[in-house]
Amino acid sequence: MTSADLLSAAPLGLRPADEVMRLERLGSLHATRLSFVRSLVRQMARQRWQISRVRFDLNAEGHGTAVYRLQTPHGRYHGVMFAQPLDDANRSDRVIAEAWDVTFGLVEGDVDDTLLAQMAANVPLQEAGRQHPQVLVLSRANKSLRNFAHFVDALARGEQPDPAWLTRVGYLYRTTAVYGNGKFGLADFARLIDNPDFRRPFSAQMAGVYLLRHFSIEQVEHLAAARAPHTACALDIELRRYLGIGNSTGLGMAPFLINHPQLIAQWVTQRETALTLALRQAPDEADRERLIALTRRAMQHLAETVTEDAEQTERNAATVAALPDVLTWLASVPLETDIWQQLVEWSARTLPLEAQELINTLLIELYPDQVDALEERMGVEENLDLEPDMPLMRLRQLIETHYGWALAHDYASREGTYWFWYRSAEKEEPRLGVRHAEPGADKEMPIAIGPRVARTHQAICDFLELHPRATVVDFLLEYPRHKEVVRRIQTLIKAPYGDIHANLWHRDMKPMHLLRTKLSFFGASRFDPKSDRWVRITLFQGAPLVEELNAEPQDLADFDDWSFPLEPARQGDVHATCRQAGGVVS
Amino acid sequence: MNVSYNELQGLCRKAFSGIGFEEGDAADAADMVAWMQCHGLHGVEQLNRGLDYLLAEDPDALPRLIYQDGDLAVLDGQGHSVLRSISLATELGFAKARARGLSVVKIRRCHNRQLIMGYLSRLAGRGMNITAFWRNAQVPLTEQVVGFRAGHTIPEVRVYSVRDVPEENEPNDGITLVMANHVELLPSLGADHDLDLLAHHPESELLACRQLALREGIQVEDAIWTRLKELAHRILVESSEASRSGAGAGEHDND
Repeated sequence: MTSADLLSAAPLGLRPADEVMRLERLGSLHATRLSFVRSLVRQMARQRWQISRVRFDLNAEGHGTAVYRLQTPHGRYHGVMFAQPLDDANRSDRVIAEAWDVTFGLVEGDVDDTLLAQMAANVPLQEAGRQHPQVLVLSRANKSLRNFAHFVDALARGEQPDPAWLTRVGYLYRTTAVYGNGKFGLADFARLIDNPDFRRPFSAQMAGVYLLRHFSIEQVEHLAAARAPHTACALDIELRRYLGIGNSTGLGMAPFLINHPQLIAQWVTQRETALTLALRQAPDEADRERLIALTRRAMQHLAETVTEDAEQTERNAATVAALPDVLTWLASVPLETDIWQQLVEWSARTLPLEAQELINTLLIELYPDQVDALEERMGVEENLDLEPDMPLMRLRQLIETHYGWALAHDYASREGTYWFWYRSAEKEEPRLGVRHAEPGADKEMPIAIGPRVARTHQAICDFLELHPRATVVDFLLEYPRHKEVVRRIQTLIKAPYGDIHANLWHRDMKPMHLLRTKLSFFGASRFDPKSDRWVRITLFQGAPLVEELNAEPQDLADFDDWSFPLEPARQGDVHATCRQAGGVVS
Repeated sequence: MNVSYNELQGLCRKAFSGIGFEEGDAADAADMVAWMQCHGLHGVEQLNRGLDYLLAEDPDALPRLIYQDGDLAVLDGQGHSVLRSISLATELGFAKARARGLSVVKIRRCHNRQLIMGYLSRLAGRGMNITAFWRNAQVPLTEQVVGFRAGHTIPEVRVYSVRDVPEENEPNDGITLVMANHVELLPSLGADHDLDLLAHHPESELLACRQLALREGIQVEDAIWTRLKELAHRILVESSEASRSGAGAGEHDND
C-alpha cells in the first residue's frame, strides 16, 4: 500500500474547504509536481516515449505542414502542424479570432493521406471546421512577434538570442485554446478512459502543447537557416530548455471550474493530500537543504518574472520579499520531526497568500516517492446524483453546515449582485456584464453557486414549515427548479473541495483568481495578467527537450527537476558555441 | 454529419435551455437523448419527432402526483415529453424502493417514452434493479419492456406484439416502472405466451453500439442539428461593442 493509499484510507488532516476553497487562496496557487505538465513529462520519461519528425514541409517563410510521431509503449500518435501566413489585422488571441499563425491536432494512430487532407481542410478552421474522430486534441497558436523576429534575426546571424527575451516572454508561440473531449467532432474523452497514455485529465492536451514547443524550435531554426544558410546556427540547448509555450486565456475557464465541481474537487484533494503527506514526513538535514535550495530557486524565478500588471508585480514582489525570512527560518529552526508543520503554521501567520502557497508547493516537491502516485487520481467519473430519499431536514442541516459561506453573502445589495456572467452570440465567448447597466442578465449563465444555494435553502426552510417530515424528492416534486442545486449540494458534501467559496456576482470578485486556479493545475508559470479577466502564462518553460527524452534518461529525478526555471547566463563567446542548423536533432 | 457524444450532449443541453428548461432538466434531457443515440436507440430521431410538441408545452404544467403510499405512486405526466421533469417521478420510485425494497410508479399521459431509458440508466448505475414497461401501439398491440440490472448502466430491451389482444384495449400512453433494491427484474418472455418478438437488444449489443459511437462518432441529420443550434442560440446574448470589452481582452495581439 502506498502512502497515498494509506492516507485515503484515513483522510485526516487535510485543510478545511473553508480555507482552501476561498477564491483569494485559489488565486494564489502555484504549479506543483502534480500539475499536468510535470506528470506528463515524468510519464514520458518513465515509459521511454519517443518523438520523431516524419514530415517537415515548410517553405522559406516557415509556412507549410509538419508531422511528428509520438510512440509510446501502448500506442502511436501524431502531432500534425499547419503553419500559415497571417495578417497582423487578424492576429487575436480571443476566441472570436478566425485565423492563427499555426493550427494543429494530436491524432491517435497513423495519419494517411486521406486523413491529412481532411485535417488540412478543417484544422486551420478550428471551431468552424468538422474535426475527425481520430483527432484527440485541436489547438492553435499565435506568434510572439517580437520574440520570433529576435530569434530568427539572431540565429540567422549565427548568434544566440538574448535569454532576457525569454524571461520577459517565455515562448515563441502562445496557444489561445486547446480543445479536447469531443469538441467540433474530436474524439470523446470517454474513449480515453482505458488508454494508459492519456487517461489522465488534459494529458493529451498537454502532449499536443509539448509537440508544439518542439515545432516552434525547429521552425525558428528552419527560418534562420533559410534566411542565412551560411551563418545560421541552431538554438543553444539551455535556451531551448528555457523556451516554453505560452497560453492566452480569458473567462472561458470560469464556467469550466463551476461546471466540473467533482473534477476540481479531485484535483484539489490530490494537492491537499500531497501537502498532508509532505507535512507528515520527518525530514533530515538533506531535506532541509533541498528545501532551502528550492526556495532560493523559486525566489530568483519570481524575481525574474516580468509582468506589466501592477497588482501581479506587487504580489510577486511581496513573495520575493518574504522569502528571505523563510530562508532564515529554515536555517535557524531546530530540525524537529514536525518542522514542516511548524513551517506552514509560521507561514500562515506571517506570509502573504502567494508565499504561503509557494511554501506548500515546495514541500510537495520534496517528496516524489510519497506524492507522485496521486497523479493517477486526478480523474473522476462526473455525476451529480440525487439522493431523493434524504430527509429534507437533513439536507437543510447539511447546507447550513457545509455551505455557510454561501448563506453569509448579501445577494440583495447592488454590490452583491453587480456582475452577471453570460455567453455572447459571438462564438459563445464568455463575458461579464454589469447587471443593472448592460443587457443580457435574463440569459445569465448560472455559474454563481452561492446565490442559488441561498435561494434553495430558503425554499427548503419554507417547505419544512408545512412538511417537517418531507424527503428531498417530496420537495423537488413541488419545486423542481431546485433539482440541480440540490443534487450538487448532496454530491459535493462528499467532495468538499468542489465549490469555490465566493460570491461570483460581487463587485469585488476577481475573475483572475478563477483563471489562475485552473492554470496552476495545468502547470502554468509566469502569470502575466493583461487585464482583470485575461491572462498569459507559460507552460513547459524549463522542461526537458525532445532530444533529451529520446535519449532515454537514466536519472529520472534529475529529468523531473525543472520547476521554477531560471534565466540561463548569456554566453560570452556565442559564435564559439553555435552549431550549424543542420545539426538539429529531429 | 458526424458528431461526438459530448458535442451532442452539449448542444442538446443548450437547446433545452433555449427552449426554457430549468438547468437541471436541460442537463437530464440532454443526457437522455445522447445516451439513447450512442446506444443505437435513435435518441435524436425521437427528439426530432417530439420537438414541436416540446416547444408547444406549457412549462408550468409539472408532472402531478395523483396518488402515493409507501410502495406505490401514480403521476399525471400532463401529456408532456418525458424529457421535461420526468426524472423526479423516477427518483420517487427510487426513493420508495430504497425504503421498502420494491416500488411501482405509474406515469400516465406522457410521450417520447423511449427516452426515459437514458435517465433510468443513471438510477441503475446507482444500484437499482429496474423494469420499465409501456405499450407502443394498440393495433397491433405492441409492448416494450426494458430491464436494468443494478449497477449496470446498459439495459436489455425487448419489443414484442401480442397476438391475443384483450377485449379491453384502451389507449395507454403511460409508463410503468418497477424498481427493486435487491431483486433482479430482467425481462424474459414466457415461452407459452402468444407473442411475436419484434426486437431484442441485449446488453452486449447496446454496449457495442456505444463503443462504436465513441470510436467513430455519431451520425445525425444536418437539419435537426441546425434546428438544435438555433434553439441553443436563444441562450446567447447578442454582441455589441460594449459587450466585447466584457471579455476583458484587446482586439489584436501583435506584440
